[in-house]
Amino acid sequence: MESKENQWSDVLVKSKQGHLKRWLRLLLKSKTGTIGLLIVLLIIFIAIFAKLLAPHDPNQINAAMMLKPPAWVEGGDTDYILGTDNLGRDILSRIIYGSQISLVVGVASVILAGIIGIFIGLVSGFYGGFLDNILMRIVDSFLAIPTILFALVILTVFGPSALTLIVVLGVTNWVQYARLIRGEVLSLKEREFVRAARSMGVRDHKIILKHLLPNVISPFIVISTLSVATTIILEASLSFLGLGIQPPTISWGGILSDGRDYVATSWWLAAFPGLAITITVLGMIFLGDWLRDVLDPREKKV
Amino acid sequence: MGKYIMRRLLQIIPVLFIISFIVFCLVYVAGDPVALMLPEDASQEDILQLRESLGLNEPFYIQYFNYMVGLAQLDFGESFRYNTSALPIVLERLPATIELAVAAMIVAIMIAIPLGIWSATKKNSAIDVVATGGAVIWKAMPNFWLGIMLILIFSVMLGWFPVSGRGTWSHLILPAITLGTGIAAEMTRFIRSSMLEIMNQDYVRTARSKGLKEFFVIHKHAFRNALIPVVTITALQTSTVVGGTLITESVFSWPGLGQLLIQAVNTRDMAIVQASVFIIAFIVIAMNLLADILYKLLDPRITFR
Amino acid sequence: MGRESLLEVRNLKTYFYTEDGVIPSVDGVSFTIKKGETVAVVGESGSGKSVTSLSIMGLLDAAGKIESGTIIFEGNDITKLSKKDRRKLRGNEMAMIFQEPLTSLNPLFTVGNQISEAIKIHQKVDKKEAKKRSIEILKKVGIARAEKVYHSYPHLLSGGMRQRVMIAIALSCNPKLLIADEPTTALDVTIQAQILQLMKELIKDKQTSILFITHDLGVVAEMADQVIVMYAGQVVEYTDVFTLFKEAAHPYTKSLLASTPKIHEQTEKLQVIEGTVPNPNAMPSGCRFHTRCPYVMEKCMNNEPVLTNIHTRHQVKCWLYEEEG
Repeated sequence: MESKENQWSDVLVKSKQGHLKRWLRLLLKSKTGTIGLLIVLLIIFIAIFAKLLAPHDPNQINAAMMLKPPAWVEGGDTDYILGTDNLGRDILSRIIYGSQISLVVGVASVILAGIIGIFIGLVSGFYGGFLDNILMRIVDSFLAIPTILFALVILTVFGPSALTLIVVLGVTNWVQYARLIRGEVLSLKEREFVRAARSMGVRDHKIILKHLLPNVISPFIVISTLSVATTIILEASLSFLGLGIQPPTISWGGILSDGRDYVATSWWLAAFPGLAITITVLGMIFLGDWLRDVLDPREKKV
Repeated sequence: MGKYIMRRLLQIIPVLFIISFIVFCLVYVAGDPVALMLPEDASQEDILQLRESLGLNEPFYIQYFNYMVGLAQLDFGESFRYNTSALPIVLERLPATIELAVAAMIVAIMIAIPLGIWSATKKNSAIDVVATGGAVIWKAMPNFWLGIMLILIFSVMLGWFPVSGRGTWSHLILPAITLGTGIAAEMTRFIRSSMLEIMNQDYVRTARSKGLKEFFVIHKHAFRNALIPVVTITALQTSTVVGGTLITESVFSWPGLGQLLIQAVNTRDMAIVQASVFIIAFIVIAMNLLADILYKLLDPRITFR
Repeated sequence: MGRESLLEVRNLKTYFYTEDGVIPSVDGVSFTIKKGETVAVVGESGSGKSVTSLSIMGLLDAAGKIESGTIIFEGNDITKLSKKDRRKLRGNEMAMIFQEPLTSLNPLFTVGNQISEAIKIHQKVDKKEAKKRSIEILKKVGIARAEKVYHSYPHLLSGGMRQRVMIAIALSCNPKLLIADEPTTALDVTIQAQILQLMKELIKDKQTSILFITHDLGVVAEMADQVIVMYAGQVVEYTDVFTLFKEAAHPYTKSLLASTPKIHEQTEKLQVIEGTVPNPNAMPSGCRFHTRCPYVMEKCMNNEPVLTNIHTRHQVKCWLYEEEG
């Protein structure tokens, strides 16, 4: 087992390219990791090139084409591979466009949560004492309120929009990062290089930025990948409840919510967006598990 | 032990305090409920009068003080939709939610324990591959989507269970499976990895060296040890489970706390929202405390301090 | 020495099937244990001595498999037995004591539970009788407050006490064969002596045979009648304890003896065996010790010597003695 310090000195010694190569080699060794990366890259590609990939305008209402089943089902139309919804809109195109908001909300809120969490975790772990005590009680309080409940309440107050959603999910998720980073800092603080820096009178903020921050990046990367996955589900849940992304912006949760009323007659409305979410999240879990194996040999679980 | 529980209960107070502050701030920022409470043609005078009587013209800290006084008496304010105190309405919905959560937990335990043990003791076998693969896929599936798909298959296509509502056993089955299998996915992974670790312990080999049947080696010696971390982690997930219940209720129109809450959120009935948040937070905290005590009871090495 | 033999291991091969390939941990080991006799197996870690004992007990993990050879216990080849019949022997006819007393007892069950469990399995007695016998055996292994220890959890006991409990469990059904895998290695020196003394006393009038696994030649001198020296999964020297200490023949045994401190002799410094035990999936050709052997010859590198008698009851696997045999 490689110690973390070795890994970081590896980062410093090896050229960036060499490092990338080593990672790639490790990646290809893991089947699920490779699949995960491919799925994630595919989803990003689809989100970026949605305009080129979508066969139809996702908001084009077509009264003549209402509730068409998928192409392979009797009565289906090859023009609408995954069928159409109650307004005659092409499901495939809507799913392709829906990937954009899922990724944007997922990634942006995790970055926001990460910034808050890392900051609080570093400060709390480094200074300890009374400040740490207060911050950790706040963390406990947040943990006692289910994320979705918290998000519901904030969304009631500020009204649903993509931006609110990002802020809401960021503000509710910082807790797990704060806990993780604090734990890391507590153990790093006892290590020689931090003690040495302190005894030489290096300023606090310099120790935090130069010695602690780089060392907490890799655990952060590991859980943030998994966190994007859960955030995508959370966003979809909120949109499904009608409190997340609002039409006309297309989201997977929104399509599902529309489709739910037609489950009895037109299953494809609800089935395909859910499948899209499942595949995306699965890809991120695979990628995240692989990253954990590579970056965090101690297999930390949060 | 009594002392330990007392100390833990005391620790809960600041947490409840912070939660109340967060909730208050949100309600404060949410602003004026008056517009929603009065008919649209209400006069300016009526509005002012209502604001005065609700204490909404007071400064922030006075409002907070009044709010805390109310809270101390378990008064979360009046629901303008139901025109009564919010707490009884919330408590009335609680049994339905607890019923669903307990049923889901039973489903989860019934799936996760045998599956986790099997897949750990027969590592890399077909059972293990199916169990771990299934657990990952289940984790990736949004729970509400699973619910809808179950409705599609078992209610719409097969007609075995009712689509929604509460009342008979058959109403309970699909929501409990939806929520329960979701919890089981995570739990199976925990039990498996915990069992894998324990099966390599020296005392498991000792148990075998006595000539104990493999069944007892696994279920008596290994599983009880594996259970300890599982209990803790499961309790720490109460918050996630409650969150999942809220959504499952919505999918199956289950008349519990979740449905009430989402309604209240949609109509901006803040008294109900506050009371629900409090009750849920309280349940989560209580479960965590229970897990802590259980953990210590399960492991003789830990003494109450 | 005309005693009846209890256990005969013939050409035992135990291989481990791992992701990195097949590892021949035990590669053609043969020896005999007579009734009431103590046989010590000596070797460095990785020499296959623990795997040999686990093969006899039938406690190999899923990756390990007895590839060939026979283990004859009281006239029956136990490698051919069903899992169920094998289990009936364990803890009853043959029992084992492990190296780590701290981790070998289950932390969640009382000492009493863990002893009476073994008694209940094999002796078909009720709870009360099992308890009575458990307390008796606890007293026998020198635990003064047996009643109290019976009800306590392992974490409250010291390492020495826990090893006594382990011995109590192992001897609870009066096994014919006791396998002790480095039972004193993890203990303090004074406790070590007590435990060895205890084991000797307990078997004295019982005709119990012991297979004693150790890397400590001091313990060998104390306990053993016969000694097997193992290197890289094979027996390299097999003789009685007096011969071994007087005229060890194999270069590996000689180096082992030279690396053990002796109180009576004023040696300048202890010898160290150069190099390490070879990697099991890259065994050297010829004699497996040739990479570290001070007497290495041309022949040793390509041709494997055979275990041969150099005297009556003194077998050595080395080319140095080939002509004499």
